[in-house]
Amino acid sequence: MTDASDELVRESSALTRSDLLKGGTAAAFAVGMFGGLPEKSFGFAGPMKFAKKQLAGDLRILQWAHFVPAYDRWLDGEYVKRWGEANDVEVKVDHINNALLYSTGASQVAAQSGHDLFWFISPPSTFQKQVIPLNDIVQEVSKKLGPMTKVARKSTYNPKTKQFYGFPDDYAPDPVHYRRSYLQEAGVSLNTWEDLRKGAPKLKAIGHPVGLGMSNEIDSNMLLASLLYCYGGFIQNEENRIVIGQGSNRKGAIEALQVMRDIYRNGMSDEVFAWTAASNNQAFVAGRLSVALNAISIARLAENSGNTALADDTWLASIPRGPVMRLGNEHVMGVFVIWKFAKNKEAAKKYLVDQQLGYREHFIRSGYYNFPAWTGAIKGGFKEIRRMTAQDAHKPKGKYTILTTIAERYTTNPGHPGNTTPVIDEIFQTWLLPQMFAEVAQGKLTPAEGVSAFARKANTIYRKWKNQGLV
Amino acid sequence: MTLRQKSLTYAVVVPFAILLAFPFYFALVTMFKTNLDLADVEHSPYLYNDLEGGFHWDFWNYATTEHVRFLFEDTNYPKWLLNTLLVGAAVVGITLLLAMPAGYALARLAGGWGQTAGVGIFLVYLVPPTLLFLPLSRLITQLDLKDSLWSLILIYPSFTVPFATWLLMGFFKTIPQELEDAALVDGASRLKALYLIILPISLPGILTVVIFAFSLCVNEFIYAFTFISSSEQRTVSAGIPNDLIRGDVFFWQSLMAATLIPAIPLALLYNAFLDRFIKGFTGGAFR
Repeated sequence: MTDASDELVRESSALTRSDLLKGGTAAAFAVGMFGGLPEKSFGFAGPMKFAKKQLAGDLRILQWAHFVPAYDRWLDGEYVKRWGEANDVEVKVDHINNALLYSTGASQVAAQSGHDLFWFISPPSTFQKQVIPLNDIVQEVSKKLGPMTKVARKSTYNPKTKQFYGFPDDYAPDPVHYRRSYLQEAGVSLNTWEDLRKGAPKLKAIGHPVGLGMSNEIDSNMLLASLLYCYGGFIQNEENRIVIGQGSNRKGAIEALQVMRDIYRNGMSDEVFAWTAASNNQAFVAGRLSVALNAISIARLAENSGNTALADDTWLASIPRGPVMRLGNEHVMGVFVIWKFAKNKEAAKKYLVDQQLGYREHFIRSGYYNFPAWTGAIKGGFKEIRRMTAQDAHKPKGKYTILTTIAERYTTNPGHPGNTTPVIDEIFQTWLLPQMFAEVAQGKLTPAEGVSAFARKANTIYRKWKNQGLV
Repeated sequence: MTLRQKSLTYAVVVPFAILLAFPFYFALVTMFKTNLDLADVEHSPYLYNDLEGGFHWDFWNYATTEHVRFLFEDTNYPKWLLNTLLVGAAVVGITLLLAMPAGYALARLAGGWGQTAGVGIFLVYLVPPTLLFLPLSRLITQLDLKDSLWSLILIYPSFTVPFATWLLMGFFKTIPQELEDAALVDGASRLKALYLIILPISLPGILTVVIFAFSLCVNEFIYAFTFISSSEQRTVSAGIPNDLIRGDVFFWQSLMAATLIPAIPLALLYNAFLDRFIKGFTGGAFR
């Protein structure tokens, strides 16, 4: 009786004279062309593109089209070429509109084919079963740079599986942008949410409403979750259990909904229910808005518009303080994942490690938008980051310094005080937060009804992911 | 037509024409605006303004070609245009090759169930790409056509052929059977009769298919976006929203230029063949 392995042995040993000649010719050709076997053993087939380097093969990366075109030009045209030559890898970076990242990720998973490295704009924890754990490279980078930031860790680590499902690359603090002259004219302060509640009608009265989104888009998600934190209305606790419908969390969430309802009714316009991620940028730079929460793309857009009066009048501040705390979500949490079906996992891992180790250049080239997930990636840490941002030449001088304070003290991950679990990711991707806030602001639900409905939906999502063993 | 009738016609048509041409005008003005002029809400969006918002007759001094230059030099826009043209031409060719015999067969040879089959084929056209793109994505992966224009050339006929077949079927029905019979009696084969008699008469219908299929290819987004992720391989419809909306910033002037440029030849094409186009669409309406 024979089995399959016997057959294989027989087939492999049945070498004819013709096979021997063909193989010998090919081997002679290979030795002649490439000078014999390389010094190290390689994980990839094929000839080396660049002599005496470590890796081989192609590496395909997908990430957003950065709002600074020069950053993408540098990344595609210089950085990845340099890295590719140093590692014997042909690197190709594709860029897409950030609103299409999730649907593209889903379609790649459905097709079980796509890029080796896929960058998401917020922690994509619902994709955990489709990616490989990256604990090894997280440890490697941490050994060299020290601990990663808390926001990065809690965004990408799953305590249930004890795995880093993604590699945190960068994050963007989420400052308040405000027109200083309008706030001075209306006599409005932005220190607390209560200040903004009282000041919003005055700002609207002078023709410059507040612009806080309550729409199905990422900025609204980040902002509204932040507002909940400030009032102590946490969606989940540290153990990642849904608690928003209970006790002080429910009370805090109701207060947050009341505040946003008041700000909307007295100080905003209906457009905030139909906003895209770009709408607050456009409305602010058009001179309409007095206040908006966004990463620094608004300030940079104002600077690039050529309207120096607008740019100089655009100031940055931390998120207002609530009765419980001053804390906001990051605006962007850049997380790379490596799909299980990725063809060049080793090169992908090395790319991530090397990029983080040399992140200083990325930070500068992105106009201080991309903060490194490991602060140690910039020698001197936050102290050096503060020094660098303070040197930005745009007026008012030193306005970007506040970014360091926000990053260091007031930035957290979606799902605070817990991790960014698949539950939180699904809540974000199904826009439950903006929908709750919008329904309350429009008077369709009372704040209490809004919280109850939200808690029910959140608990349903929680049970789904618990059954899958991910929370 | 009397002067009164003429005046009435123009009174209706001119405002309508202005309304329809307005988006083109707006795009044309915007694509040459400076950032400063564009961003200031006090400035007229329909004119070029100076720093204070004033209009001058030498308006070109207050405009810029910088954003058009960005489009052509800093993005792959010329490649997207070429890719769109290539895919469009190939798909039109495949569509005609498949839809003409199919439409003819359904109109002439299928007997009673021809109409039902025609409606059935048309219904295929109504299945939305949002449902189909996931399974088709797997197919394209298995065929190793990801990131290749061939993926679009393969898939686009799935929605152009049903519509073109249905349209041509209706058109072929308007052509009297006696013309073919005469050709057959004179010794022509059915294929020859189709080629020499039917096709020349069917030119409006064929032209309609050409223009319509090409327009569908230019407009299609979901497949173009899903199957192709490399910027160099994109078509216009997928390239524009991906490379000109960066982060949360819209590059408005370049966006306007990018959409206006392919719209102009299409508009001219429609205009040049308008009569035939209408004839093509309405050809089978009464049979």
